[in-house]
This record gives sequence, structure tokens and C-alpha cells, in this order.
Amino acid sequence: MVGEIESPEELDADERDALEALLQRLADDEYVLAERYTEWQVRAPTLESDLALSNNAQDELGHARLWYDVLEDLGYEEHELVYERDPDEWRHSTLVERPFAEGDWADAIVRHYLYDVAEELRLEALEESSYAKIADRVGKIQSEEGYHREHAENWMERLATGEGHERLQDAVDRLFPHALTLFEPVDEQTEETIVDAGFRTESLEDLAEEWVNTTVPFLDGLGLETPAVERVHFDEYEFEVLDEELPDKRGRDGSHTDAWNDLHDEFTRTYRELGRSEATKIMETAE
Amino acid sequence: MIWEVFRQEEQGGYHTHCGNVHAPDREMAKQFAAIQHGRRKPTNSIWVVPKSEIGELDADEIAFGGSTDKSYRWAPTYKSDVEHAAEVIDSEGQQAEAEKQRGDA
Repeated sequence: MVGEIESPEELDADERDALEALLQRLADDEYVLAERYTEWQVRAPTLESDLALSNNAQDELGHARLWYDVLEDLGYEEHELVYERDPDEWRHSTLVERPFAEGDWADAIVRHYLYDVAEELRLEALEESSYAKIADRVGKIQSEEGYHREHAENWMERLATGEGHERLQDAVDRLFPHALTLFEPVDEQTEETIVDAGFRTESLEDLAEEWVNTTVPFLDGLGLETPAVERVHFDEYEFEVLDEELPDKRGRDGSHTDAWNDLHDEFTRTYRELGRSEATKIMETAE
Repeated sequence: MIWEVFRQEEQGGYHTHCGNVHAPDREMAKQFAAIQHGRRKPTNSIWVVPKSEIGELDADEIAFGGSTDKSYRWAPTYKSDVEHAAEVIDSEGQQAEAEKQRGDA
């Protein structure tokens, strides 16, 4: 039932682990994507696009914060989760950790599009979460995410001609396999518990199917090829991610590409160098 | 292409010019305007208008208000900084209080 679980005390050990894994996936995706987005600050093609992407980064950081805050129910603190976890304890998809191809705005836009369609679907699958705090926070996040997807689609449509088309295609070739890791489980057993306990009301397989049936036809409409296109039945809605379509590192299981170590090193450096054991708060904890 | 942006704070208010954005078309202009001009201040509605569609007339081209002396319109001899009679001050206070109670102020 929606929001029936008010506290982790009502859960058994497996369910607690599953809740933790689900929240880490959500929070880490948002946090790491925001870290990458901020690399575009003062470097985007125009002032307007710069502000738009910074705006997204700020939104995603805020969302990460809402999820880390729920993780505090399980005894964690935000600064431990962000600054004190080892890189291989992070559970984000490899899509969000990949560095941008040097100065390639198409890369940022393709990533933004692939991610935000997935984000929209997974938020829908959390609307009726059995865990009250999750269900409560979804609406707040959704109100900002609608704009994100629209922004990404607008850019995709406008870049899809001439040289822009080539760049989009390159970015799709690079990023599509990594985007598929958004739907990989932390591990099968944990994933099963996430759904059985009603924390998320749809399985990752179902979400992947919906995602592919949204993104692939959209990309196809812009003349962009995807490795999966032949296997997507536009009307029949049948799709399964094949092992050979996935990259070696999948993020969700703690395996990450080398680029992640560099990024992690960078954003935790000041904290380590100053020998911190807590983070400065400029805002009260998100409600 | 430059789009001039007009922001309305609350329903029924004027759309007031607040800046501009560069955008290739109306849809992108609306999106950029929402971020640049609608995110940090209270906003009910935003207009975007292509800069080239705005007609301008300035004081070099026309004598606004005519060319004869119309300084009498400014009525500078009325004094507004006098001390009011006690009953006027009381009355103003009562009116302000009443407005507050009605939720107007």
C-alpha cells in the first residue's frame, strides 16, 4: 500500500538492504550527473545554454539531497555518503560518470536526453512506493523534471541536422550502452526485494522496456541509429537488454570506468586535504 | 536572434520588461526566459517578443508632449510635506488598519 511503511524499523534485514540500494542508486545518479554538468559552467556554447545546464545541475543536486536525506533514516549521514564512501561503493550508472567528449555539446545533450527519459519513468514507478518518505518526495522532483526532458528534446531536435547530426550520432554510439546500465540491478536478489517490498512498483526490466520504446523511436525519428533499433517492436513493447549490449563496467554493481576514480578524487579532494569529518552546511537539511 | 522578455509577477499585473535572451526560435526563447527571468523572482507569466518586432520612437525623433512650455502640469507649488491635522493623521491610521484587516495591504 502506498506509503504504509513509515520507518525502517518495520523492515527485515533484507528489506533494509534493498531500500538502501534503491536510495543509493537514485541519489548517486543525480549527484554524479550534477558533478559532470557543472563542468560546462562558463563553457557552454551560449550564455543561455550555460544557465540552462547549470540550472539542471542545481536541480539534480537538490534531488540527490532529498534521497541522501532519506538514507539518513538508515543511520547514514550525508557527508559520509558523499565524501567518505570509497569509489567502488557508489551505485550510479556509468552513463553519468563518463567524461564529456572535449567541448562536445552534443554529448551533454544526448546524455541529458537519455537520462531524463529514464528519470521520468523511474519517478512514475516510485509515485506509489510503500515507503512513505519516497512517495512523499516524488511529486516535488517531478515538477522540475518535466522541464528537463522538454529542454533535452528541444535541443536534440535542433541539433539533428548537418554537422550536429553527426555529433549526435557519435554521442549516441558512445553513450547508449552506458545508458542501458541505468536498468541494471545492484544484484538480482536485492532487485527482487525492492519490487516485492513495494519500494518501487515496477521492475527494472519493465522500466528498460518502456525507456527503449520511448528513446529509440524518438532517436529514429531524428535519423539517429541505435544498436537496439532492430529489436524494438514499436507497437508490441517487447525488449530485453542483452548482455553483449552492455559495457564491461556497469556502475550499479560497484564496478566503474576509470573516469569515475578521477572525478571522485576531484570532488573529495578538498575534504580529504583539510582532514574534515563533516561538511559545511549552507542550507538546512531538505524537507 | 534576440527575444525581449516581459515578466508578470502576479495575475492581473503588468508584464514588465526584464531583459532579453538569445534563442533560435520562440520555443527555445520561452524556455531560456523561464530559467533566466522566472526562476529567482516571483513569476506568474512571461512574454517573449522578437526584438525586431518592437517599434521604437525616441525623443530625438519626436517632441513628446509638444514643444510649448507645459511646466504648469507639474504643479510644483503644491506642498505635500506639510504637517497634517491630528484628525487627518488619525483617519489615515484607521484606513491603513482597515486595509490590513481586509488583507489588502
